[in-house]
Amino acid sequence: MATRWPASFVVGASVFGAVVVAALLGPHIAPFPYDGIDIMARFLPPDATHWLGTDEFGRDVFSRLLYGGRLSLLMGIGATSVSLVVGVPLGLAAGYYGGKVDETIMRTIDLVISVPPILMGILILSMTPPNPWKTAIAVGIIYVPIMVRLTRGVTLELASEEFVLAARARGERAWYILGAEILPNAWPPIIVESALRVTFAIMLGAALSFLGLGVHPPASDWGLMIAESRPFIDSAPWVALAPGFVLCVTVIAVNLMGDGLREMLDPRLKRGRG
Amino acid sequence: MSQPVLRLARLCVDYPAGDGWLGALEDVSFEVGAGRALGVVGESGSGKSTTALAVLGLLAPEARIAGGDILFKGASLFALPDAERRALRGNRISIVFQDPFASLNPSIPVGRQIAEPLALHKGLSDGAAGEEVRRLLAEVGIANPQQVALAYPHQLSGGMKQRALIATALACSPDLLVLDEPTTALDVTIEAQILDLLEKLRRDRGLSMLYITHNLGVVARICDDVCVLYAGRVVETGSAESVLRQPRHPYTKGLLASLPRVAERKHRLAPIPGRFPDLSAPPSGCIFHPRCHFAVDRCKTEPQVLDKDVRCWRAEELADAAWQAPAEQVDDAPVRVPAADGTPPLVNVDALTKEFRLGGMFNSSRVQAVDGVTLRVAPGEVLGLVGESGCGKSTLGRMLIGLIEPSAGTIGIDGGSQKENRRNAQIIFQNPDSSLNPRKTVEAIVGRPLVLHGLASGGDLRKRVVELLEMVRLSPAYLARYPHQLSGGEKQRVGIARAIATSPKFIVCDEAVSALDVSVQAYVLNVLADLRDRLNVAYLFISHDLSVIAHIADRIAVMYRGAIVEEGPVDDVLGPPFHPYTEALLSAIPDVERGSGVQRIRLRGDAVESGRHVRGCRFQHRCPRKIGAICESETPPVIEPSPGHRIACHIPLGN
Amino acid sequence: MLAYTLKRLAYIAVILMVMSMLIFWATQVMPGDVAQMILGQFATEDQIGAVRARLHLDDPIHAQYLRWASGLLRGDLGVSMMMDRPIGPLIGEAILRSAVLAGISIVFVAVIGIWLGVYSAVRRGSKTDRAISIASYFFISVPEFFWAIVVILMFAGTLGWFPATGYAALSEGFWTWLRHIILPVATLVSGLVAHVSRLTRSSMIETMQSQYVTAARAKGLPENVVIRRHALRNALVPTITVLAIDVGLLMGGIVVVETVFSYPGLGRMLIFAIEQKDIPVVQAGILSVTAVYALANLAADLLYAFFNPRIRYGNALAR
Repeated sequence: MATRWPASFVVGASVFGAVVVAALLGPHIAPFPYDGIDIMARFLPPDATHWLGTDEFGRDVFSRLLYGGRLSLLMGIGATSVSLVVGVPLGLAAGYYGGKVDETIMRTIDLVISVPPILMGILILSMTPPNPWKTAIAVGIIYVPIMVRLTRGVTLELASEEFVLAARARGERAWYILGAEILPNAWPPIIVESALRVTFAIMLGAALSFLGLGVHPPASDWGLMIAESRPFIDSAPWVALAPGFVLCVTVIAVNLMGDGLREMLDPRLKRGRG
Repeated sequence: MSQPVLRLARLCVDYPAGDGWLGALEDVSFEVGAGRALGVVGESGSGKSTTALAVLGLLAPEARIAGGDILFKGASLFALPDAERRALRGNRISIVFQDPFASLNPSIPVGRQIAEPLALHKGLSDGAAGEEVRRLLAEVGIANPQQVALAYPHQLSGGMKQRALIATALACSPDLLVLDEPTTALDVTIEAQILDLLEKLRRDRGLSMLYITHNLGVVARICDDVCVLYAGRVVETGSAESVLRQPRHPYTKGLLASLPRVAERKHRLAPIPGRFPDLSAPPSGCIFHPRCHFAVDRCKTEPQVLDKDVRCWRAEELADAAWQAPAEQVDDAPVRVPAADGTPPLVNVDALTKEFRLGGMFNSSRVQAVDGVTLRVAPGEVLGLVGESGCGKSTLGRMLIGLIEPSAGTIGIDGGSQKENRRNAQIIFQNPDSSLNPRKTVEAIVGRPLVLHGLASGGDLRKRVVELLEMVRLSPAYLARYPHQLSGGEKQRVGIARAIATSPKFIVCDEAVSALDVSVQAYVLNVLADLRDRLNVAYLFISHDLSVIAHIADRIAVMYRGAIVEEGPVDDVLGPPFHPYTEALLSAIPDVERGSGVQRIRLRGDAVESGRHVRGCRFQHRCPRKIGAICESETPPVIEPSPGHRIACHIPLGN
Repeated sequence: MLAYTLKRLAYIAVILMVMSMLIFWATQVMPGDVAQMILGQFATEDQIGAVRARLHLDDPIHAQYLRWASGLLRGDLGVSMMMDRPIGPLIGEAILRSAVLAGISIVFVAVIGIWLGVYSAVRRGSKTDRAISIASYFFISVPEFFWAIVVILMFAGTLGWFPATGYAALSEGFWTWLRHIILPVATLVSGLVAHVSRLTRSSMIETMQSQYVTAARAKGLPENVVIRRHALRNALVPTITVLAIDVGLLMGGIVVVETVFSYPGLGRMLIFAIEQKDIPVVQAGILSVTAVYALANLAADLLYAFFNPRIRYGNALAR
């Protein structure tokens, strides 16, 4: 069976792949250091040397953009991984075992979910000095409830499927049923949701660092770059527009990827008329 | 003769499929005469529902009318502008769909939904429409129209919903009523009630009906004429009487030969082999030739046309030839070795009870799903367990194989431990689409029980899997396939291969053939019978379909609201004396042979789910033969009219 | 229904209690000595000691919590360290201003989002549908803070139609008020409208394919009646759940938008308090946002029940 990749996935994955490569290679290909202050070269508009101009300290915007991507991607991928690693097993357990296990997990989740996401981030980050890893974990924890609910729902549905009952009837252990029967069929919605989470995490991470809760200067991050350039937005709009534009393109790319995956994996879209 | 109400003239409907088109209907012609009922019969994929939608003008937007015409009272429907066509819908032509549970809008009271066509087509005011709705509800046999009109759909049972939908369809006294499998989603006793209602409405109103169904028995009861569809083509039409008694097209013959019947029980059925053709690339020649054992070379090249009401050039010469079971199913059918008398039972179930706690958001209650059931199954014996939805039969079956913990009572299978029971007792499920893990190959699915229980490994494993597949008549080519590449019958056979992998002595077949089309069902039933005879495996065969049970079972247990009300050898249970519930079930089966005009016993009300224990007889609320206060106060005694035949009823023998 | 509401309210009370402990504990481990911060770098030991005593900072943490919590129960939210004013009225005003912003936004989001979603579902596959889809794709992908900056740059900077930042009370005149609130609302609404319209579209499409919609068509009802009477109401049920989730997103947006537009609401107050380590304000602020959020969710659930007769009525007639 030849898989046909949907166009939206191909486009999204290519753009996102390019962003990832640029961010990983950033330190090696950046023409200037990200914190190289040059008072003489403040607010230079884009030209051949400074492709995207310079900011109020004369730092090269293009170089900072390359460095800033690492944080945003760390935020997106790291936070989503945290929510997956914590959320999926909890959801599987809650859905499969039910009863008290389910009750305990879901009540705890309700508690976490009763705090609006950004407040959760603010609360966690305001406690201790900012650090990108911590921000990623904080954002990841915020998304755990969504992953748990999703996985639990899928697991509940699958646990009553007859092939799972057949596995129980022949005496399979719980770990085999969860790992070999349920999980392989639960992936599609989880993957699609993860793609969506990556975009939300990138945006939330950027928003937190925009509010001064993510990383501290002189570290570079897209959200922080936009925040720093705000006072000079009228005179030097390129300093804010460049990271903003890249941020949007990245998010759109991941969204496209998610839609492509959904198209490929969602059995409801695949199944024809009965 | 007056003009037909509806005439389809060489109608062709296509759906887009990949890069091309798929011919869902090809050259379909038939007529519904005034005051007559035409049954359109076919298995899944035959195009029968497309026919209904085309008549209503409700085909999906992507469908394409590739040719032909639909004439309503002589006028082409395709020539009408949209607004005029809409004015016919729900007014002159109305429809009742298959699934009453999905056909009512969940957020609007039922009465207002019935009133819609009245207000739209007849311009009735709210008050007048309300009055008319109550009259219609009373006409379709609803006892409390006032209350039902105000109820929301979820507050009504399936039978009541279908009555309400029939009332909606009748609201404007249509000239043509289209019924698309109107009783398929309902229990058999409720189906019988609805069929009675439709018969009465036909008599009282002189309705013309287009009745779409897969069930030949229903056609025999309701229809004057019949039109048999196969793969979007009409293969045979004629009066119901002649088509059902003397089928002329090989497909019709096969369909009738596949049908298990209560009245006439055979050693093996004669199914139609092969699978349904792919309509986006139909076979050349006659569309049915790949599955037809009468086919000769000419059939493979020459497309068939409908000639003298049958689409087969050999119809005349084959007039007296009966449909034959595929050779391998007759010739190698193993011979059954009857168990010696006095063999101890294999399965001993005593006073088995399961209580569920239903937790609502606001309240919780206890429900006795299975209530003190005692059963014996001998080695190699088939015990049929029949009952309607919610009677607890599946819960009972699942307890026997350890999927559900009993609340009380004991289960013994060959005196084994629970660990041994996992190998000795297996289950075959109902739904072929859900019973196989879509991410595993057939080889992995069938091989897993062998690996788990350490019964085979390495090269042996594959050899054993191939053997198992052969036992269910699947070639080794299936090893590498995934479930979505299999047809429904093939999936079900893989499920059977998986169940017999550990050489169990006892298998619970939980509605194992209910989701299959008749011809496929017959094939699977034969496979199950072969396995029983070859492996001497015992079945608990759970089904809502008494004809299937009657075909395969040695003994029958009838379950109602969590308990067995009658049990005994097949012939004793199917003949008098009866438990009133068994009698009602038997008389509810729409049988091809009996047709209409047989005296029937009907149950009042709807099936009641297993519930809290009631005083007296659990069947008292619906019993047509209730004898008095004793039924309400005392648990019925078990009477034994003949050895092994037990009936739990107050009615004394001889009445 | 009443019993259910009361049960939920009780649950909200439990959540708020647990949250209050969590918040209190979290804010206690915030870095930096509070007394030191209030008094500045040059304070003497004695002065710091005096402030610590006044704020009971030397008591064990559970005693501090109990004092704070009992104050909360009496409606006393404490005193802002920086502004040296009681927090109650301070937060009250801020919440009111944020609520105005949120209220206007959510109405816009619901009305425009649902309308766009239904419109494109009904005209599925048309050019308009595709245009709406692409636009919503774009709006979903632009973070609010960037959107805010772009909007300021365009409408306040280049075009000069509206003030870039600041706030005017309604008492300063309707037009002045409106001019100040348009850009923040537009920023908040953009992404959420896209979100709601996408989900409404898919839920509407699913509903339009349901059997009862086909049944309604089979009655001969015109398409607009089928949509209005049969599809819309059922399609809106999942949208309500989405709107409840969006209230959470909206709160995140409000924090950002208030900061960018210098709108003196709760969000800006909170960020300001965190920067200034004004712990009592942080505590009271987060707790009140949690309460508002929980109540919004309850409202959504009740609305959901209202639209869903299965919850509203029992199964009484099924015999």
